[in-house]
Amino acid sequence: MGYDAMANDVSAPAISRDLGKKKRANRSAKLKQCKLDARREQWLSQVKNSGGKDGSMGISPALPSPHRTMSLLRHSQAVLERKSLEREVNVGSGLDGSDSDSPAHSPIPIANMHRKGSSSTSASSGCSIGLCSRSVSDAEEDREEEGKGEEKGGVDDWEAVADALSAVVDHTQDKSDSVEKEVCSKKDEDHQNISRGAFRVSEPEPNRIVHRAWRADDASRPQCLPNLSKQRSFPVNMERRFAPSASVHTGILSVPSSCPICVEDFDVTDSSFLPCCCGFRICLFCHKKILEEGDGRCPGCRKQYDRVPCMENGISGVALSFPCRFSRSFSMSLRS
Amino acid sequence: MQDNIQSGAAVAPPPPSPGTAIKQSQPVAKGSDAQSVLKRLQSELMALMMRGDPGISAFPEGDNIFSWKGTITGSKETVYEGMVYRLSLSFPSDYPFKPPKVKFENPCFHPNVDLCGNICLDILQDKWSSAYDVRTVLLSIQSLLGEPNNDSPLNTQAAALWDNQEEFRKMVEKFYKPSQ
Repeated sequence: MGYDAMANDVSAPAISRDLGKKKRANRSAKLKQCKLDARREQWLSQVKNSGGKDGSMGISPALPSPHRTMSLLRHSQAVLERKSLEREVNVGSGLDGSDSDSPAHSPIPIANMHRKGSSSTSASSGCSIGLCSRSVSDAEEDREEEGKGEEKGGVDDWEAVADALSAVVDHTQDKSDSVEKEVCSKKDEDHQNISRGAFRVSEPEPNRIVHRAWRADDASRPQCLPNLSKQRSFPVNMERRFAPSASVHTGILSVPSSCPICVEDFDVTDSSFLPCCCGFRICLFCHKKILEEGDGRCPGCRKQYDRVPCMENGISGVALSFPCRFSRSFSMSLRS
Repeated sequence: MQDNIQSGAAVAPPPPSPGTAIKQSQPVAKGSDAQSVLKRLQSELMALMMRGDPGISAFPEGDNIFSWKGTITGSKETVYEGMVYRLSLSFPSDYPFKPPKVKFENPCFHPNVDLCGNICLDILQDKWSSAYDVRTVLLSIQSLLGEPNNDSPLNTQAAALWDNQEEFRKMVEKFYKPSQ
């Protein structure tokens, strides 16, 4: 039933992930791919068998029922599992022989894998929580706690990850790549936590940066992921645009933070006002002045101003009442 | 950039004097227009000092920020090398929509400068753009020194002599009077 579908799902997203992962995948990972695939199949079938008995496997009563988990997670779990396997090869192959040396699929490796999966989920949920207010270290504690007591909220967390991943899969490659890194880094850390105990390399530091980026995106639902990068870049632009800068006048033509004619800072309306197709921006007041009292030519290119500017957005009252939202969409429409 | 800011801060004390000029020159021009011209000129002064372009300088004359004195040093490998020319810049009340009036203060033997120091330069007349500023004007005049437009000379003698750079240099030196 669902297991077959799941087994199919395992390979489909995994292939697409391979593309994104290409740069990072090293040769040894590819060489062991066949072996890993085979082992994964075996492992999955074993999970199926033990899950088929009842939710409560004999491995650990603390574990969430694999049956429910599977149906919730579908391919995203498979992706996670696959990541886990790959990371073992990429990073942990030299460090940890327990998994690769015991292909017998005794319940212990399975429990191991499951623990990894669950704890990584907790980690991801940790990021979504930490996003609100907690610091990185808090989130980390969170993760470690939940890693130990993985029974709580396992299914809900999986659900969140499943949502996130399925949303991400549809979107841009680098997005999914970053999430991938995220997931992998979690796997990596957890793997090291579990199998190596005290063995903690300094590697988590760069990973955490990626982690943080993802966390900020996690604020709203992951369905908005592709837009978030633009939206998040916007406030930066705003800050730059409105920050009183001493260097503004060094590049009068290139830095649109203030009107090059009257030197007044652009407001939102001005900065979304493009009176000439040459790209030379001036404020509305100076534009009006040039049209009415001056020669009616663009100071930047000396071309006669059109009576109707080639692009004039954000002048309506609606735009003024929602300046940020409007100019945001405007900036997006400019780029697209 | 840090250095610029630092040096700008170091040179910064002068601007208060144009700042005090604000009140005194306000009656000259009227209303918010004057304010915006003042702001523009002050920012130009700031930018000019912070950039510290070699060979040009300008600063308001006395209390009146609408009247500046500038200097231009002749570029190297031109007949004007080593010469320092003083200029006066007078800004109209509708600056920068109208160009400033720029004149040489000391005699300059040049095809496009007449004996009174008036300059024939398109960007100071019909090709003026409000995007230009004191700095670009001074840089333009500096480059005009080395590359005159001999087709529409104000000083026909200078235009005729341009091809003979040695003789031209002699005339430049003969005309030149260092700033008093």
